[in-house]
Amino acid sequence: MTCDNLKRSLGFCVILLVQLSLSSALRSAQDFQNKVSLLLREEPENPKCFAEGKKDFTCFWEEDEERAGHVGQYSFTYTYQQQNSSQCPLRMHRVADGKRLFVCTLNSTQMFVQMDIKVQRDGVMIHNRSLLIELAFLLDPPRNLSVSQTDQQGQLRVSWVPPAVKYLDDSMMYEVSYAPADGGLPQVEEVRARSEVVLRGLSPGTLYVVRTRVKLDGISYNGYWSAWTHPVSMETPPAGFDILIISLVAIISVVVFLLSVTLILSHRRVIKKKIWPAIPNPESKFQGLFTVYGGDFREWLGHTNGSLWLRPALFSSEECPSPLEVLSELSLCPPLPSPHLPSKASRAGPLERQEEEVGKEKPSRKEEGLGGMGVWHETPHDHWLMEQLRAFHRLPAPCSQSSLLESQDAYVTLDAQQQASTEVEEHLDDIMEENSPLEVLFASSESRSDLGSMQRSSGSGRLSSGSSLEYPNHTWPPKGPGYTYMAVADSGVSMDYSAMSSSRITDVGKTLVYNEYKNEIWSEPRPVLTRQPQVHTGW
Amino acid sequence: MSQNIIRGLFALLLIVLEWTQPCLPSPLRPICDLRVLNHFIKEARDAENAMRLCWEGCSLSESVTVPQTRVDFDIWEKKTAEVQAQEVQSGLWLLHQALSLLQSSVTNTALHSHIDNSIRNLLSTNAVLRSLNFQEYVPTDGGPDGEDTWRVSTAQELLQVYVNFLRGKVHLLLSGAQACQQDVS
Repeated sequence: MTCDNLKRSLGFCVILLVQLSLSSALRSAQDFQNKVSLLLREEPENPKCFAEGKKDFTCFWEEDEERAGHVGQYSFTYTYQQQNSSQCPLRMHRVADGKRLFVCTLNSTQMFVQMDIKVQRDGVMIHNRSLLIELAFLLDPPRNLSVSQTDQQGQLRVSWVPPAVKYLDDSMMYEVSYAPADGGLPQVEEVRARSEVVLRGLSPGTLYVVRTRVKLDGISYNGYWSAWTHPVSMETPPAGFDILIISLVAIISVVVFLLSVTLILSHRRVIKKKIWPAIPNPESKFQGLFTVYGGDFREWLGHTNGSLWLRPALFSSEECPSPLEVLSELSLCPPLPSPHLPSKASRAGPLERQEEEVGKEKPSRKEEGLGGMGVWHETPHDHWLMEQLRAFHRLPAPCSQSSLLESQDAYVTLDAQQQASTEVEEHLDDIMEENSPLEVLFASSESRSDLGSMQRSSGSGRLSSGSSLEYPNHTWPPKGPGYTYMAVADSGVSMDYSAMSSSRITDVGKTLVYNEYKNEIWSEPRPVLTRQPQVHTGW
Repeated sequence: MSQNIIRGLFALLLIVLEWTQPCLPSPLRPICDLRVLNHFIKEARDAENAMRLCWEGCSLSESVTVPQTRVDFDIWEKKTAEVQAQEVQSGLWLLHQALSLLQSSVTNTALHSHIDNSIRNLLSTNAVLRSLNFQEYVPTDGGPDGEDTWRVSTAQELLQVYVNFLRGKVHLLLSGAQACQQDVS
């Protein structure tokens, strides 16, 4: 039983050895075939010879099958310098595409000495060559090629094992070829006497294909470039952000942010004005109107001192004073003297001269609006004006009445002595009650939004003052010296009177009248009225 | 007067030091860099190429004995380092004789610089061998025997032998020198 086992194991070992030898023979045969193909491309002379190591030497030549003879017909003779000739036994190999290969292999050689080779066929020399064997090396390709990443970006470390030729490592040089896997020109790196190299300048995050080959450096030994190794692929590390770059970017962004915040904060008022302009609020001019009385102007008027109106400080001094103009009558009556008020009267501009257009009523006629009343200052001109007004007042009533009725002008009664009245309605109803004239104007002109519930317009017309219309049948009540009747004209204010029914008028009489000031530039000159840019009264 | 005394004493000191030699000569640092020999080989090749292009005034007056350059690695590796060193040193001695004869024979001025350079490099090679602690060997009795030598009659052959000798035996001896192997390992 043991003998049988031994026999079986021996047989198994023999088979294994045979297989191994066959495989190695196949590999060597394949390697030999590769070298032959390489030399057929590289070497123009015949026979082509190469040394794989320090002791072997192989020569071969190729012939077409039709012309090739028997291997016995050929002779390969080699002669070292100053030595006798020797013969090399030949063998023949059949290769692809119908060619024949005649090969001579020597197992011991002499280097650093010239060798003369002669190839003869049937005594006739067909090839002749002289060479030095140490200058005809064709080594095996490098082994165990490996590519790995390094710590640096865009780098790869390539290493390999040199061919197994003793003591020739110092004389070897290598070529490392690398290219991106997705295409691109391969680059070559030359390496001398080292079996490792670091490829630099590679693209991050890219797959590279690397291969290498070997040759002797040509000083003591020389030869042909070996075949390329099998390519090895390796990906370069992806592009990462350098910590330094990240920190610098962060610092710069923080600094820029702080600078911008500082800039915005230092100019926040200007920016706020641009982005969110403040809505003009007259609250500062009417103290307590909105805070205490909730916008109820009547209440406010009743509780406030009328002298507030007359205080110059209340009024804005920014605006130019608008003149009061005595308006003349229409054609029915002789033109009333229109006192042209000196333009040089300086008055504070009217507060409530609003140019905002509340309604969209078209002017039916060209009319003149009444401007707001400005500051009332007493000047020498005021006396003259008063005289003029008194004179006007003494005019025949019908004339004035009709003129009043038909006139397009509006009149305002001024009462300098009267303190601020309580309500606008009272003033409108009874002009003799000597209400503050400014109340009319204010009530008529101020924006409806401010006065809230008191928004009622007098019919369809835009009235700068309701005085004239409220009293169609009335004459101007003779008030006495304390009263002056003045027509107020404002160049920038238009007034639109439409035909008013009596009912309307009566309604109007009980209602507040609002003036809607609209700043219109009339194209046609007004024949009747003259404009004065300023308003001045005696108050 | 005092200066003369000082000078005299200084001279006496130098004489005494020179005579006693208190310091032993330090051993040469081994020259293991083969690039030195490679440089010599390249210059020898340049001389050989220049000689190939020379037609006149570049011939040997008589045939000379040169060392054999062939190397059979099986045989070479079996020799000891001392034998190898002797073989190399005797070859260098022969070449030195031959190149000196060539120097006197050649009349071409362009080749003179090459030959002078070759002789200088050959002496430097001897110095390199000495730095590697190889025992100095001067051949006697007219040089090595016939097995290791042959005779050449042309200048081109002489320079070819010189190149092959440097590339072969000298290079193998230096690359396998024990002094350099200790540094590597």
